[in-house]
Amino acid sequence: MPHVSAASSSTSTQAATDAARATLADHRAQRFVRTDPRGSRVYTARERAELLLDADTFVEFAPLRSNQPGAGSGVIAGWGLVDGRPVVVACHDASIAAGAIGAVMADAICRAQRFAIEKGFPIVYVNDSGGARVPDGILALHGCGEIFALNVQAQTKIPQISVILGPCAGAAAYSPALTDWTIMVKGHGHMFLTGPDVVRAATGEDATADEIGGSGMHTKTSGVAHLEAADELEALQAARQLLSYLPSSAEAPQAVTAAVPVNPISAEAISAVVPERASVPFDMHEVIDGILDNGARLELSPQYCASAITLFGRIDGRPVGVVANQPAVRGGILDSKNSVKIARFVEFCGRFAIPILTLVDVPGFLPGTVEEGRGIITQGAKVLKAYVDATNSMRLTVVVRKAYGGAYIAMGSASLGADHTWAWSNAEIAVMGPGGAVGLLHRRALAEAEDPAALREELAADYREQVARPYVAAGAGIVEDVIHPEETRERLVAAMRLLAHR
Amino acid sequence: MIAAKAEIVGNVWKILVRVGDQVGPGDPLVVLESMKMEIPVVAPGHGHVAAVLVTEGQIVQEGDPVVEIDNTLGA
Repeated sequence: MPHVSAASSSTSTQAATDAARATLADHRAQRFVRTDPRGSRVYTARERAELLLDADTFVEFAPLRSNQPGAGSGVIAGWGLVDGRPVVVACHDASIAAGAIGAVMADAICRAQRFAIEKGFPIVYVNDSGGARVPDGILALHGCGEIFALNVQAQTKIPQISVILGPCAGAAAYSPALTDWTIMVKGHGHMFLTGPDVVRAATGEDATADEIGGSGMHTKTSGVAHLEAADELEALQAARQLLSYLPSSAEAPQAVTAAVPVNPISAEAISAVVPERASVPFDMHEVIDGILDNGARLELSPQYCASAITLFGRIDGRPVGVVANQPAVRGGILDSKNSVKIARFVEFCGRFAIPILTLVDVPGFLPGTVEEGRGIITQGAKVLKAYVDATNSMRLTVVVRKAYGGAYIAMGSASLGADHTWAWSNAEIAVMGPGGAVGLLHRRALAEAEDPAALREELAADYREQVARPYVAAGAGIVEDVIHPEETRERLVAAMRLLAHR
Repeated sequence: MIAAKAEIVGNVWKILVRVGDQVGPGDPLVVLESMKMEIPVVAPGHGHVAAVLVTEGQIVQEGDPVVEIDNTLGA
């Protein structure tokens, strides 16, 4: 707009400003028209930014920046409020060069990223992009690389959320993978390195876009995305809900709200949730419901590696990241895939000092050729590292039933730095379960016994009492106390209240 | 035809269904024993049991089909 700077009198300045605003309004109107019909898209980039934020709080960065096809920015970036707290947002605009990332667009995104990092506000990326803008060549690639670099720099400072509301292909797909949490809309949200045509040309594989990178694929099979939303609005709402549990930055206070009592029915039921026989599965969600504040909670990757639960909720109004074994799925076993899921969640909580509550009922790490072949040692070690590193978080651990072997150590044990650990009175904590231990410790006696089965049972009962009972762990000071299930919440509330004095 | 598959390596502890039984999604068909835990293999959808592919005591690997369900008769 050269005539803006050329204006000399106040009248012509006024006129020039008005002209610039008219141009802007025209751009916005055109953008709206250009996306009509918008295919499967429901909202324009601007509408998406506005829907993510509290009403009338969106302030756009550099709204006059060129958005001509070819040379244009193709991103709506700015800031606004979510539940009254500042959040930076960058929404790809698929109406300009299909949201492909060119040099100008990358620069606009990087500016938003730097603003968020410097000011200490979370950033939400709304992705809808075909990848790098081909005519921009190396400038596009360089720009994408700069976005990635800032994604990484932001990791230790501010929460980053990616919302996938369209294709997110090629170079565009790596940015979400460098952010903390990814939400995908069902249907038109896709993430992949290359789409169906290129896949067919490259390897001959015949697969649909959904099969290669749909929301179902990424929230159930690959684990690349953490939440699946039915539509665009639900995806944006999910991002708001996720932000409600997170501090604005690693330096900021926790997002504390008014305390809500536990659901009285769940609290009443908690003492009866765990079956007497250690081999019978149960739903760990019932334990969680009997402990946390009643009301909304957000489970991440609910359909991916469901044998481990990772969710955000609240205790006494304070956000808490819950990690739990789920005995109802694969017996609650730890394996290479769910180890990565747990480690990632714990590591995230640690970066932002979010308290971590670990609920343990784990038969062990799954042994055998399949899991060893998947590198369970390396993946399991990630869980150990994540807990040890999470020194900024209060780490609270409750052994609900079984905690055996290396899996006992991995699940937020005192040895890894838990601040408080409790065990329910029926808990079993030992190097291995009674069956295996008896066979190992009494091999000769069992071989010589007249009735090996009876002796085995007797020895197992003895082992359970003498070795595995939580009083052994409590006597050694490794478990702080042995408690009844219904006492769990009050112990946790007391521990969490300490945090108010930090 | 749809197959209910073992989600974990283990041995077949109990078979709960017979050929011809009507089943619905989530119904337990077979209970595996793995890591001293009882781990059910559940029906992925509606139908009737066409074949039980395992016997009690048999070892199954993760992903092995355990029960075949005929879902073509509009059960």
